Amino acid sequence: MTPGELLLLAAVSLVAGIVLGPWLSRIWLAFTLAGATAGLTAALSVLLGARDWEWRSAFSLGGEAVHLRLDGLSAMFLALLCVVGGAGAVYAREYWSEEHYRASAPRGRAWWSALLSSMGLVLLCANGLHFLIGWELFTVSAFFLVTLGRQRPEVRAAGRLYLLASHVGTVCLFAFFSTLAVRTGNWDLGPMREQAGLSPLFWIALAGFGVKAGVFPLHVWLPSAHANAPSHVSAIMSGVAIKMGIYGIVRFSGWLPVPAAAGWVVMGLGATSALLGIAFAFAQNDFKRLLAYCSVENIGVILIGGGGALLAVTHGDAPWGRLALAGALLHVWNHGAFKALLFFGAGSVLHATGTQEMSKLGGLWRTMPWTAGLFVVGSLAVSGLPPLNGFVSEWLVYLGLFDAVTSKGPAAWAATPAAIMLAMAGALAMASFAKAGAMIFLGTPRTQVAADAHESGMGMRGPMLALTGLCVMIGFAPILFWPMVSRAVESWRPAWTAVETPAPLATLGSVHVGLAILVMAAVAGLWRMAHVNGLRRGLTWDCGYATPLARMQYTSASFGGIVAGWFRWLLQPERKMRRPRGHFPAEAIRLEHIPETVLERIIGPISVTIIQVSTSVRRLQHGRLQFYILYVVAGLFALGAVVLLGAAQ
Amino acid sequence: MNFFLEIILRLSVWLLLAPLLPGIINKVKAWVAGRRGPPVLQLYYDLAKLWRKGVVLSTLASPGFVAGPAVAWVALTGAAMLMPLGPAGSALSFRGDVLLLIYLLALARFCTAWAAMETGSAFEGMGAAREVSYAVLAEAAIIAAVLSLSVQTDSVSLVTMLSPSTGAGAVLLAAGLFTVLLAENCRVPFDDPNTHLELTMIHEVMVLDHSGPPLAAILHGASVKLLLFAVLLVQAVLPMGELSSAAAAGTLVAGVLVVTVGVGMVESLMARLAFRRVPLLLTTAFLLCLFALLVAWKGGAS
Repeated sequence: MTPGELLLLAAVSLVAGIVLGPWLSRIWLAFTLAGATAGLTAALSVLLGARDWEWRSAFSLGGEAVHLRLDGLSAMFLALLCVVGGAGAVYAREYWSEEHYRASAPRGRAWWSALLSSMGLVLLCANGLHFLIGWELFTVSAFFLVTLGRQRPEVRAAGRLYLLASHVGTVCLFAFFSTLAVRTGNWDLGPMREQAGLSPLFWIALAGFGVKAGVFPLHVWLPSAHANAPSHVSAIMSGVAIKMGIYGIVRFSGWLPVPAAAGWVVMGLGATSALLGIAFAFAQNDFKRLLAYCSVENIGVILIGGGGALLAVTHGDAPWGRLALAGALLHVWNHGAFKALLFFGAGSVLHATGTQEMSKLGGLWRTMPWTAGLFVVGSLAVSGLPPLNGFVSEWLVYLGLFDAVTSKGPAAWAATPAAIMLAMAGALAMASFAKAGAMIFLGTPRTQVAADAHESGMGMRGPMLALTGLCVMIGFAPILFWPMVSRAVESWRPAWTAVETPAPLATLGSVHVGLAILVMAAVAGLWRMAHVNGLRRGLTWDCGYATPLARMQYTSASFGGIVAGWFRWLLQPERKMRRPRGHFPAEAIRLEHIPETVLERIIGPISVTIIQVSTSVRRLQHGRLQFYILYVVAGLFALGAVVLLGAAQ
Repeated sequence: MNFFLEIILRLSVWLLLAPLLPGIINKVKAWVAGRRGPPVLQLYYDLAKLWRKGVVLSTLASPGFVAGPAVAWVALTGAAMLMPLGPAGSALSFRGDVLLLIYLLALARFCTAWAAMETGSAFEGMGAAREVSYAVLAEAAIIAAVLSLSVQTDSVSLVTMLSPSTGAGAVLLAAGLFTVLLAENCRVPFDDPNTHLELTMIHEVMVLDHSGPPLAAILHGASVKLLLFAVLLVQAVLPMGELSSAAAAGTLVAGVLVVTVGVGMVESLMARLAFRRVPLLLTTAFLLCLFALLVAWKGGAS
């Protein structure tokens, strides 16, 4: 089948999913999976083939002829959408099941199909107006999915914040697309690099798409939306939806000419997001919020790569740009895979215990061995550790940055700090996930709910296993995925087809496989040796203390305490403390809470000021007719004065 | 076949020689203090004994408690395999192998911290928290050092990066890398490997609950890591590429010995720093490496 037919099949299946979803959950799942498979096949056929798919129809919508296009870049994002969309659909059937959520489960299924189809539409549209329509549909369906559990007030608040922030972004996009349409004379989108006058538009697109992507100062909606949404929704929001922002930035920086400073700004934003995002993540106690802030970090990693590519373009098409962009695009896939896996794991824990607070968990490996094991794999991948996929893409980004530094051109001034910040962010990511995994799964249960946990069923484990497989596969055989990534890079900038990329991915893949084999051999050997020599269980050594309690374990706040101290200027923790006093201290308290600093300390006061100003302006509008007549007269006089003064000159 | 023979040869050099270093350090410390001290081969005896001993597992520990040391040991040995040995080059060299080496060290750190958290002990949590937190600054320093080598040689693979001399930046780089070596290997002034006061330790407190073969893997892995950093430091600072093979091999061995004795001297003459001073010292190490980078940059431009 041609990509066109496959996409039609996907669209029909997803629309059938929207219509039938609320009533027939099995058939909905079949349709969604069929749609995802068809979409994935279409994307892969474009990625592995040589030709783009393009379709112009005589049929017009809103006065504009329908124009769809699937090239290497959009196919890359479409493939990710289909994989996470399909996995999430399977997961949702058990996680957000009919019996637990009688009212919202049917609604959730329909909106899930709507979200998949609207995101697909955004990726396919090559017309500004239709892009905006798709974008709005996507935003709205994501809103209804985020607020599935809308009985809880914090879910409603998170949904409102998400909708508000998204629309601030959409306003920028309206301005962007309409200005573009005015300048070019039509709404049609496509390569227009030669029209140099369009380059300032990049800034407004960066702002609009940056809000969706969750770039650091614009990320304010992201933590609460991800933390309060059902976990399968968090997975697709973090794995795919925020990538739509990346798609927009990459897409339009490829199609339109960009200002000379674009690479510097994008790389700077990326490095800031990476380091500050992960600093926030490490300080969190709510594990879904930790995962959400970690998404800010990964968006930063992707933008560092993208910024590298933009810098390379302005520095004579240097070959390192290709490496950096390839790393960024591969990281889009990788982050989609392991972050969805981690959110599914988080959902599994939430499903079993009902709490998102790490300080209330612990020791879950005993009752949830599958979830624990798969969460560890996801943690290794997200920390960028070999031999998994996260390392491969970060390695490509690093190579791009190193080559930019060794070229000793002006780009090195951006690449050097970016490489150092990327390294620090990597170390902090490892620390964050060592903390998250350890607090949730290791030690002894801190509360009764943690002790009573149970493993999730096959419906939730299956998608996690599939995503783990994907993480392992990209880690072990990155060379298999290189042609697709390279195709996407070429469709971003056709001039880069000729650039040879000396990235020894095949060697890296075989080293990873060898490492994995050795690891398994060593673990088996050590385990056997321990058993041969005799294995005995005993109490944990606590300096001779014989009755350790669960509450004596290190908590997530204490684990993150050192780094939280370094970032105090940013995190601004709220403290409540009562020291022990007297010879027989009765009660001592120390509570620490990390607020949403950027939202509460920066965006919040600004919004309050805007509201105050608007309220004071509103006093002019009071319904007294005589004053309105006075305004009109004053206005007339003022106009007259202007005209007279103009005539005098 | 030759390739495998070479790998086995290298592996045996690394694995057999590594435990010598802690022995030398202890001998130097004993000598400065006027004691006789344990024999230089003490760690070999300890490892052989631990390997035959039984294991006491905490009641809370999962299989990850034994797997962690195994993975960490493999990661450290793998990192050692990537490190070139003077004139012998490295077993496997490719563009970007230096990044793999850095991330293998991070993998080892993750696994050690994970195994420490398995026991649910507050002491081990404390050690793990310190280990992963200070690693952030150490990682920044290492990347800055690697960037400076990279700028100097215009390459991203260890074999070519490490052969030429570093000129004026060598002193800065040596100071920076030596500080990172002390921090990463948990030596004085960052950590005291001899203390038994859990509250003040990093590495030793993380392995409090390990015993038998897993503890042997941890101790041996730690010695491999120490040798790895010593070899890296020597090769990054000395002009190995300009010497003949025999001279380079001799220089490497002598250099590693000097570094080891240096660690012993620092340990004898300095006290452990207060924990709040540790980030300051690591930041200094980072700045030293950063200045080395600037020197390399300027040197290349002129």
